[in-house]
Amino acid sequence: MIEREVRIRNKAGLHTRPAASIVKTAARFESEFTISKDGFEINGKSIIGVMTLAAEQGSTLLLRFDGPDEEAAATAVVDLFDRGFDEE
Amino acid sequence: MKLKNKETKKTSITVGFLFEAAKKRFQLQQLNGQVGFDNVVKDKNLHRPGLALAGYVELFTYNRLQLFGNTEIKYLQSLDRSKRMKAFETLLEFQIPCMVLTNGNVLDKEMLEAAGRKGIPIFGTPLETTKIAYFLADFLDDQFSPQMVLHGSFVDVYGVGVLVTGRSGIGKSEIALDLVERGHRLVADDVVTVTRKGEGILMGAGTDLVKHFMEIRGLGLLDVRSMFGIRAIRFQKRVEIVVELEDWKGDQDYTRTGLDEDIIPILNVEIPHVLLPIFPGKNVTVITETIALNYLLKHYGYDAAKEFSKRLEGVIGAKKKGSRAINYFEHDFE
Repeated sequence: MIEREVRIRNKAGLHTRPAASIVKTAARFESEFTISKDGFEINGKSIIGVMTLAAEQGSTLLLRFDGPDEEAAATAVVDLFDRGFDEE
Repeated sequence: MKLKNKETKKTSITVGFLFEAAKKRFQLQQLNGQVGFDNVVKDKNLHRPGLALAGYVELFTYNRLQLFGNTEIKYLQSLDRSKRMKAFETLLEFQIPCMVLTNGNVLDKEMLEAAGRKGIPIFGTPLETTKIAYFLADFLDDQFSPQMVLHGSFVDVYGVGVLVTGRSGIGKSEIALDLVERGHRLVADDVVTVTRKGEGILMGAGTDLVKHFMEIRGLGLLDVRSMFGIRAIRFQKRVEIVVELEDWKGDQDYTRTGLDEDIIPILNVEIPHVLLPIFPGKNVTVITETIALNYLLKHYGYDAAKEFSKRLEGVIGAKKKGSRAINYFEHDFE
């Protein structure tokens, strides 16, 4: 299992479009993927789940990857966060 | 199924939160203004401070919500003014989160003000002590209950709360949609918060943001409430059975008789669990409905697996084998 802490960089926060990017990226991998924020943990492959977090700019999330391709999944998803979902 | 989800539990609520949530339901009124709204309640139990008013403060559970019923008020009224104030001030030495006066009772103005200066809010309610005690205890019990977020679709099927779980993309939402289409009611999709209520009852609900939205792969986000109307939704339901969907594995041992009931503990509540292998062409919706009906039958005392087993034992005992269900077709060729 891999754990990574990430911060929301873009201004608009984790709104619909970034949520969709995360879910799509995560769905390419077999590993289980969860995101937690303030003790609330959801399945990172569910768009409804990711949007439920309603994460604003500056908030930190804990990503957890577990499975055979966890390394690759973590790299791909963390990269999305680091790039601020290619938004301002 | 293994649950790796985290259990969360509130350890305190502020008096302000309690008041906002409870003022309408329990007809609470502020008697000494907006003071002490940041005080925290950490205990789900209530306390009647009768003995403390009489001066016995050893073991006084001051950190609980203090409930003044007729007994406390009558006792105070029986004292003369200065003694009454003194008795009340005994309580004010402690960091009480808040006080509630029942039966529409009030306290002297100077007592209300003294409490206000100490940052102790006092609320009044016209409800009887037993009633408000029941309501407040239930409300606090709910607030301090353990909670968990589960990934699945939660539907009321013939009045049975069925939680459909399984890996992402296996088709939970599609089954929920299919069930809704057949007249059942969606409670929550994808993000289900479950709360243990009392001992042995598990309640499930959606989240405030999502309510009855769902995602169907290839379609996107849908609002079940506006699409199917009020009959297609509900806000809360007891979780009564978990149906876990799994890709068919040839070597997995699926139940064939249903004699052994599998259970899964969620927040220490044991919930019946059905592991359902799926493959293309299998009508999971009808099977889910059947699971709900079978649960109802069992609940009302009829267990098909046991009944069949009993019947078989009877036949084995009677040694009459392989006979037809009808012994003579008579002249009925329909």
